[in-house]
Amino acid sequence: MRKAIQRVFAVSVLAGAVAYGVAAQAADAIKIGIAGPMTGANAAYGEQFWRGAQQAAADINAAGGINGKQIELVKGDDACEPKQAVAVANRLVDQDKVDAIVGHFCSSSTIPASEIYAEAGKLQITPASTNPKVTERKIPTIFRTCGRDDQQGVVAADFILDKLKAKKVAVIHDKDTYGQGLADAMKAAASSKGVKEVLYEGLTRGEKDFNALATKIKASGADAVYFGGLYAEAGILVRQLREQGVNAPFISGDGIVSADMVTAAGGPQFVKGVYMTFGADPRAIPAGKEVVEKFRKAGYEPEGYTMYSYASVQAIADAMKATKSTDGVTLAKWLKAHTVQTVMGPKAWDAKGDLKVSDYVMYQWDDKGGYAELK
Amino acid sequence: MDWHILGQQLVNGLTLGSIYGLIAIGYTMVYGIIGMINFAHGDVYMISAYLTAISLAVLSAFGVESVPFAIVVTLGLTMFITGVYGWSIERVAYRPLRGSTRLAPLISAIGISLLLQNYVQVAQGARNQGIPSLIDGVFRVGNDKDFVQMTHVQLLIVIASFGAMAGLTWLIQRTSLGRQCRATQQDRHMAEILGINTDRIISTVFVIGAAMAAIAGTLVTLNYGSFDFFVGFVTGIKAFTAAVLGGIGSLPGAMLGGILLGLFESLFSGFVNTDYKDVFSFSVLVLVLIFRPSGLLGRPEVEKV
Amino acid sequence: MSTHASPTFIRPLREAGVTFVLALIVFGPISGLVLDGYSIEPHLGRPLLIASIVAAGRLLFGVLEQTPFGQKLLARNARKASGGVTVARGDEYKLLYFVVPLVIAIGVTLPFVANKYWLGNLILALIYVLLGLGLNIVVGLAGLLDLGFVAFYAVGAYFLALGAQYLDIGFWTALVCAPMLAACFGAVLGFPVLRMHGDYLAIVTLGFGEIIRLVLNNWLDFTGGPNGASVPAPTIFGLEFSRIAKQGGTPFHEFFGLEYSSDYKLMFTYLVLLVVVLLMVRFLTKLRQMPMGRAWEALREDEIACRSLGINHVIVKLSAFMMGAMTGGLAGVFFATYQGFVNPTSFNFFESALILAIVVLGGLGSTLGVIIAALVLTLLPEVLREFADYRVLAFGALMVLMMIWRPRGLIRPKRPHFAPEV
Repeated sequence: MRKAIQRVFAVSVLAGAVAYGVAAQAADAIKIGIAGPMTGANAAYGEQFWRGAQQAAADINAAGGINGKQIELVKGDDACEPKQAVAVANRLVDQDKVDAIVGHFCSSSTIPASEIYAEAGKLQITPASTNPKVTERKIPTIFRTCGRDDQQGVVAADFILDKLKAKKVAVIHDKDTYGQGLADAMKAAASSKGVKEVLYEGLTRGEKDFNALATKIKASGADAVYFGGLYAEAGILVRQLREQGVNAPFISGDGIVSADMVTAAGGPQFVKGVYMTFGADPRAIPAGKEVVEKFRKAGYEPEGYTMYSYASVQAIADAMKATKSTDGVTLAKWLKAHTVQTVMGPKAWDAKGDLKVSDYVMYQWDDKGGYAELK
Repeated sequence: MDWHILGQQLVNGLTLGSIYGLIAIGYTMVYGIIGMINFAHGDVYMISAYLTAISLAVLSAFGVESVPFAIVVTLGLTMFITGVYGWSIERVAYRPLRGSTRLAPLISAIGISLLLQNYVQVAQGARNQGIPSLIDGVFRVGNDKDFVQMTHVQLLIVIASFGAMAGLTWLIQRTSLGRQCRATQQDRHMAEILGINTDRIISTVFVIGAAMAAIAGTLVTLNYGSFDFFVGFVTGIKAFTAAVLGGIGSLPGAMLGGILLGLFESLFSGFVNTDYKDVFSFSVLVLVLIFRPSGLLGRPEVEKV
Repeated sequence: MSTHASPTFIRPLREAGVTFVLALIVFGPISGLVLDGYSIEPHLGRPLLIASIVAAGRLLFGVLEQTPFGQKLLARNARKASGGVTVARGDEYKLLYFVVPLVIAIGVTLPFVANKYWLGNLILALIYVLLGLGLNIVVGLAGLLDLGFVAFYAVGAYFLALGAQYLDIGFWTALVCAPMLAACFGAVLGFPVLRMHGDYLAIVTLGFGEIIRLVLNNWLDFTGGPNGASVPAPTIFGLEFSRIAKQGGTPFHEFFGLEYSSDYKLMFTYLVLLVVVLLMVRFLTKLRQMPMGRAWEALREDEIACRSLGINHVIVKLSAFMMGAMTGGLAGVFFATYQGFVNPTSFNFFESALILAIVVLGGLGSTLGVIIAALVLTLLPEVLREFADYRVLAFGALMVLMMIWRPRGLIRPKRPHFAPEV
């Protein structure tokens, strides 16, 4: 009957039937949605998510899956764009009927999308969204495997004031939830130590000419520039600063952890010396040694959030194995009460869904386009 | 206010404005000759940025070491291929629509713009692309601490834009081709009766416009080193604003509009607020059009190309 | 067949050869050499494939041109492209008595049979119908090219989002107030610019649309900037369509003792939207027969004549602008409710272009055409979702092809028949 009436509505028939077909066959697999910027300026992070999750799913499936069911991954592309994130979330929930979600990347995408997952009662683990608001909205089913910007900002502020001994800090952000949140966290931490920023400005994502801003930073006489944002803009900004002869240290957060930072800046000579805060290198954690080897054997360097994504899938799988359920609230209760052994070591979550222990450290880029932890 | 900061912002604005001007020339020429807004022009500029990077990468793969040689070859190749783009777009999307409703070419131009953006996105992937920095020379005025500087690439951009504008003005005013252009623009039927192949003239104008976008694309890519498939839209709309500001249809107007817009933007973001610089530019545009609808240099009947 | 010369292949072959070379130049570098960091990854097969397809198409077209069938097709097309507006005969109305109830019946039953995904798409489609109808008043009827129509859409959507945030406004209040606010924006913009003509008007409206979007994007403290603002679930008689009542009422599903499902919210939005669209269509049909509607069309055809006949062109244009803005604002409220979230990227120039494409593809001034075009343009990309990467590509190509083959749109507008209704 249902199909018969649909046929009247000529356009929808074909795709509708396909959608039903997909939904019907999904019953004997566990579907996990991987949502992040698969296209767009920040596609490098989407790839890190996807690679990490793929490897995790392959490893878990090889070991017998989740309670005998195989994991099936569904890609969701939000291009780091809140509007598309909402659309993708709806599609993952309604059409692909996923059981849990790993994602999203940008906090500005994670927050609106999480409302939809929460409504649908799905477990969501974000490997990368660090904005405090992500877990501060009393949503029971959201978790993250990364730290928070208020922790990251403090680490950055301490470094700028104590190690670099900077007196005049220019704070720039990209107006995005993540970027501005991070910049604000750093600003707050710095002013609590008595240093007020000399410049606080927002730039627009997607633009290529920040020369006017660079001159403004120069005019402010800043001896450190802090940027809250992602590599696409960070790269261009740092290049234009250096070209204008501003050699003040450039410090940013985990939004620039990608080799594409070098491409955006136009060569390693511009990125050299840039500082950033990021979790202790997940590739150096002994628990993940084997997995890292597997990635490298496949010709992929598991940088940035690859391991975080892997760990997120592991957490979901463990919770599902233990509870024999896919209900978000049940899974969430279990995760909050238990410690999960992941490739990044044991992880435990508090009542909000934040990690109980965070481990931000300072990194610095070298002149060959690589980065290493600052000792 | 320090002199060197003001000076530096003027240099920033001049460079940005020259880029807008170069692209605006393409808008203004096409509008002048067939009275149509070529919405795909910004995307032709975007294509040329990709072509630049591809050509430079190919050259370096073949072991070309000399930077000036690589740039000249790249510029030539980019202008040629982009010119073919201009010609093809006119042939496929605009020529069949001549004599159709006034909105038809506008819609098909928007269609082409979508087509180009997504073609590049599908073919090249959506991530940011870039080229390594090739020219790093710089001119500085002032002492070690307070100086105004202009990089060689920036200077090249300014020279190229003024050169292009002067060259094209000469072409339009003094050559036989220019006379044919002006005749076509004044009255297409009359020009045809007088033996001018107006189809060819219109095609030529599209090719020239696209080649100007190619110069802009190459130089901008050398300057910023980073681009994506969406730059055409963002820069295109600004350049278009510049063309209107200066008086659409007028070549010096496009240049003037571009430079004014560039200066507005960098001075406004330098001394007032970075966030609202675009609001300010568009407000200026709206005000100019309300009080002087034909733009700054556009005189409705005289000297439109 | 014998009366025509048999088709020759030499000319088409030569043309196809030229096309092949050109296509290779155009598509070669971009599709054949893919950038990867600072190096290149060759995919040389792709440009050859694309160029071959293009050349084969050109060859086919060249041969077809010479056959009698092809010539007939071309001739028919040429006839269609020319010619202006026709006047309705009057007997079309009889058919309407069957069609309209049928369409309404289908429209009302759809939400109960369609799955949630398609219901969502239907809502979007109807929102675009509303937008198309609004812009059709401005562009189609009054002949004022507006490239910034999306601004009014944004005003409506943000009115609900920010109203809920700061003033505790609900869906129903917004449904009444947002169109009025949008109309005021229309008046404020319209007043200074309406003395402009054609392209200049288009550019100023484009600038205005961008200004609204940029302000929404930059006024971080008030609008939330690029991060947007969330929109509360709609209510009906104080019953809220959400899992847990956030506005302090009872959730709809609890009141009726139903299992929670977000479908109810969609069904509710859809039904209200359907009613609004139907009322709007009825209203517009009537309006075109009234003096104001006729004044719009008259002014579009000949402004000078109208003014000399005593029509106040400023008032007439302004009324068209405000009516259009009002409809846009209305659509914005539904969009915000449907998405539960608004941010400035939903209101960029592409959106304006899409709405304009709906109006032009549908046939300027034709209500039916606009409705069909809106449904096709919003549902087609969803059907093409399988080819996700290529759908916008196909969409762009479709816009170009449509303009070449049917520059006056799908449905040729007809003047209303002024004989008394039967």
